[in-house]
Amino acid sequence: MEKKSFMKKLTGSREALLAVILVLLFVVITIISPSFLTFKSLTDMLKNNAVTMVMSLGMLCVMLVGGIDISIMSTLALTGMSIGMLLKYEHISSTFLAFVIALAIGIACGFLVGLVISRADVPPIIATMGFMYIYRAMGYLVSHNGEWASAAALGKFKDFATTKFLGMSLVIWVIILCYVIFFVFMKWTTIGRRIYAVGSNPSAAEVSGINVKNIKLLVYTIMGLLAGLGGALQVSIYASAMPDMQQGGEMDVIAACVIGGVSMSGGRGTVLGALLGSLILATIAKALPLIPFFDQLWLNTIKGVIILVVVVVNIVLQRTADKNALKGREM
Amino acid sequence: MNKKIVSAVLCGAMILGSAVPAMAGSADGKKIALVGKSAGNAFFEIAAKSFVETAEAEGATVDTVYPEAATADAQIKVLDNLISQDYDAICISANDVNALQAKLQEAMDEGIKISCFDSATNPDSRQIFVNQAGTVAVGQALLDACLDISGGEGQFAILSATSQAANQNAWIDAMKKIMEEDDKYSKLELVEVAYGDDEPQKSTDQTAALLEKYPDLKVICAPTTVGIAAAAKYLQDNGSACKLTGLGLPSEMLEYTGADDEHSCPYFYLWDMQGLGKLSALTTIALINDEITGAVDETFTAGDLGDYTITAADDGGTEVVLGAPLEFNPDNIEEMAKLY
Amino acid sequence: MAGKSGRSINNVPKSPVKQMIFSWEGILVLLFIAVNIFCANFSEFYNLKSLLRQMPVYLAEIFLMLPMAYILVLGEIDISVGSIVCLSATMACIVANTGAPFIMVILATLLVGSLCGAVNAFVLTRFEELPPMIVTLATQIIFRGIAEIVLGSGGSISVTNTEGFAALGGKVGRVPYILFLVLILGIIAAVILGKCTFGRRVYAIGTNRLAAYYSGIHVQKIRFVIYTLMGTISGLCALFLMSSSFGANTTTGNGFEMDAIAMAVFGGISSTGGKGNIAGGLISAFIIVCLRVGLGQRNIHPQVILLIIGVLLIGAVALPNIIKEIQKKAKTAK
Repeated sequence: MEKKSFMKKLTGSREALLAVILVLLFVVITIISPSFLTFKSLTDMLKNNAVTMVMSLGMLCVMLVGGIDISIMSTLALTGMSIGMLLKYEHISSTFLAFVIALAIGIACGFLVGLVISRADVPPIIATMGFMYIYRAMGYLVSHNGEWASAAALGKFKDFATTKFLGMSLVIWVIILCYVIFFVFMKWTTIGRRIYAVGSNPSAAEVSGINVKNIKLLVYTIMGLLAGLGGALQVSIYASAMPDMQQGGEMDVIAACVIGGVSMSGGRGTVLGALLGSLILATIAKALPLIPFFDQLWLNTIKGVIILVVVVVNIVLQRTADKNALKGREM
Repeated sequence: MNKKIVSAVLCGAMILGSAVPAMAGSADGKKIALVGKSAGNAFFEIAAKSFVETAEAEGATVDTVYPEAATADAQIKVLDNLISQDYDAICISANDVNALQAKLQEAMDEGIKISCFDSATNPDSRQIFVNQAGTVAVGQALLDACLDISGGEGQFAILSATSQAANQNAWIDAMKKIMEEDDKYSKLELVEVAYGDDEPQKSTDQTAALLEKYPDLKVICAPTTVGIAAAAKYLQDNGSACKLTGLGLPSEMLEYTGADDEHSCPYFYLWDMQGLGKLSALTTIALINDEITGAVDETFTAGDLGDYTITAADDGGTEVVLGAPLEFNPDNIEEMAKLY
Repeated sequence: MAGKSGRSINNVPKSPVKQMIFSWEGILVLLFIAVNIFCANFSEFYNLKSLLRQMPVYLAEIFLMLPMAYILVLGEIDISVGSIVCLSATMACIVANTGAPFIMVILATLLVGSLCGAVNAFVLTRFEELPPMIVTLATQIIFRGIAEIVLGSGGSISVTNTEGFAALGGKVGRVPYILFLVLILGIIAAVILGKCTFGRRVYAIGTNRLAAYYSGIHVQKIRFVIYTLMGTISGLCALFLMSSSFGANTTTGNGFEMDAIAMAVFGGISSTGGKGNIAGGLISAFIIVCLRVGLGQRNIHPQVILLIIGVLLIGAVALPNIIKEIQKKAKTAK
């Protein structure tokens, strides 16, 4: 077992496959546009995709228990708009307080979603579809029917995204911090392992003494928390809060997770996978405008084709990997 | 059935009640519906507010109605709803040039007056378009700004909303045409028209890509409110030598406007949003009162805005043009940002 | 009872009368009446005449609910339908503008829709491990993207000869053709799903795909047919949509998939598969239409209408479950 060849390891692990795809993407793009592979361009890319990257961690947890959450971008709009309006009308001015409020609203939203799903037994897609409408509408109401909070109104809050620490924007440090915390949380804590247990086999988890309902409640609350964080980041990064921000963005987060090998039926998926998945999407978004061959009208189609190709290639490679694994066993 | 009558009577009483205090106006008891492109658009809200104030001062009641999404499909449903009610006029900012034609014609057959503002429908589905500023005038102003900011020569790029945005396309086409016709602009080179879909994230990616692709880029022109703010933020945060101009909201652009190197945008344009709301309201009321029918060369007085003459529009219909675009520069932006 | 809404394969009715009253469909009928009484009181303009006049645009979306119900019963989802509507409407305009006879336009539109559906079906059956949500997300972007490319700069097209489309939007007296077509197709879809072998197999797959496979059901063939039909019906939706807009643009059909799913789910069709029937979906679709027309006639903010629909959606599924839970607890307490 220990003498697994390098090639086998490579084709055996989903994350390794993704890493190869990502490296290939990087190589191709760098050949076409050399300026892509610079420190500045890469940190720009991370900063501009911070929201999706952070939120795919929450989606990972939700999908691990076999759920899905399409209300997240409405939660993001509600939290972002709330702190935007609080700052605009000078009810608060402290950046720290704004983040705390955003997280609190996010947690409350996520908790409510989790309650409906875990206690009233509503299928996740239905419950979150309902909350997608509800939270988005609340976002509009908070904005007084469509006011925006602009850069000037946000005061010091927007400086959070431009402040640098050790040469990188604080936003990027937030991403790194989130990923480190979740890596540890999912791998080495009891609760993290319980999330996997619930996703792989809910009844077995129930029998072994895990409170499945509470775990479900927890993952949606975590998702809400990260959506709240996403809301604060979005407002800070773009120095603007609008009630319709990130509409439809939940699909990007879900796509990032699925590309990263997170199973939609639960139980399978890693923090590393979520990272690679969201990086692949971020790379596509960053690189498409750089490629000079295409008319701008083609961008969406190409993005769709790339997503489709990546998931299909992933499946094909997985199939050959499974076959190879079986071959090894036969010998 | 009883309840129905009671509620109908109550509604009637409410309408009468709200109309009674403003007896002095020329549009007493008239009902106008103002239809926006989508809910949650600060740009539209400013004009809408002034529209409502003006029309109510004249004694009319105004209902501001939004479609569920920024699509023509959703506006069709809104128009269906409005036709069912007894409106005297509908003033609409259209999401699509042609798609509303059938419904708007149905409304006109029912005797409802149709005016457009901000974004026009095709000539067959409207009686008049209240144009914020002449298309050519906007193109000219933007191009002159690019010429001035670039120092008379060099590369510039356009960051637009979507490739389908009718307004933006018209202005960009006007810019291209002026460039071809006048030698003054011969040293300017338009390198690319990029689209940021009016999303901050995509607009930022597009701005970054423009800078990476064209290191010598001197000016970016963004004729769209979301795009200009996102680009301004990116350029300013990165201390880029590339400058910005375009069309934007003063309150959104306050932080980025300045003549020095610390600010990314020396000056930009928009039109008088309050004036647009006011003129739209008065034009619509003039239509209701049969002062105008929407034919070329008719004239009417729009309150303290002065006299306006209806002219032929580029699309073959008729329009009223509000005036020249307004310039926002470091001198006036503080003041204007308080207004909108 | 209501929680296990609609019909499931192992749900044998005990007493037909009781079943009818206490079934989710029975509750929906009561709700339908309640909504209409409410709307009639709420809006002075709400009556049969205005309802029939405003209905066609909403009815086009009800078409989509029918195949979507099949897909949900399979335990799957298709979020690309709005984009298929967009692409087929675009193609319909292009074909119509070449001066082709209207029957050709109809065939071309349905063909484009079917082709799009077949693309989904091909990918989903060839790589059966792939989650339908992610595949249809990708095709959602692709189909609308192709429409964007075809429409080019400007992003909007209109038909020059509107005769054919206007005829589609015609009426018998005050009743639009499309209402008859929705009801006919609804009945056909209900009978196939409820009474025919094909429909029962769909339930079997939705309840347990592996078990269905081992009991000799051609799972992939059935999935292929359903996803392709979803495309065909999207083409049909596009045709009727154009009878009121006489054109297409890049936002045509945006968000239709969510409307269709909401109608079906509100009607008791479970997104986890194996449960629900078309009748429930149809009644709930008409409830939503009446509510939207009624509230819309008083210019209620669209976000508030969506908020109400969101609450209804969650309440419709959550309430029966909560009531059942309480009953269970009361029983064990005794």
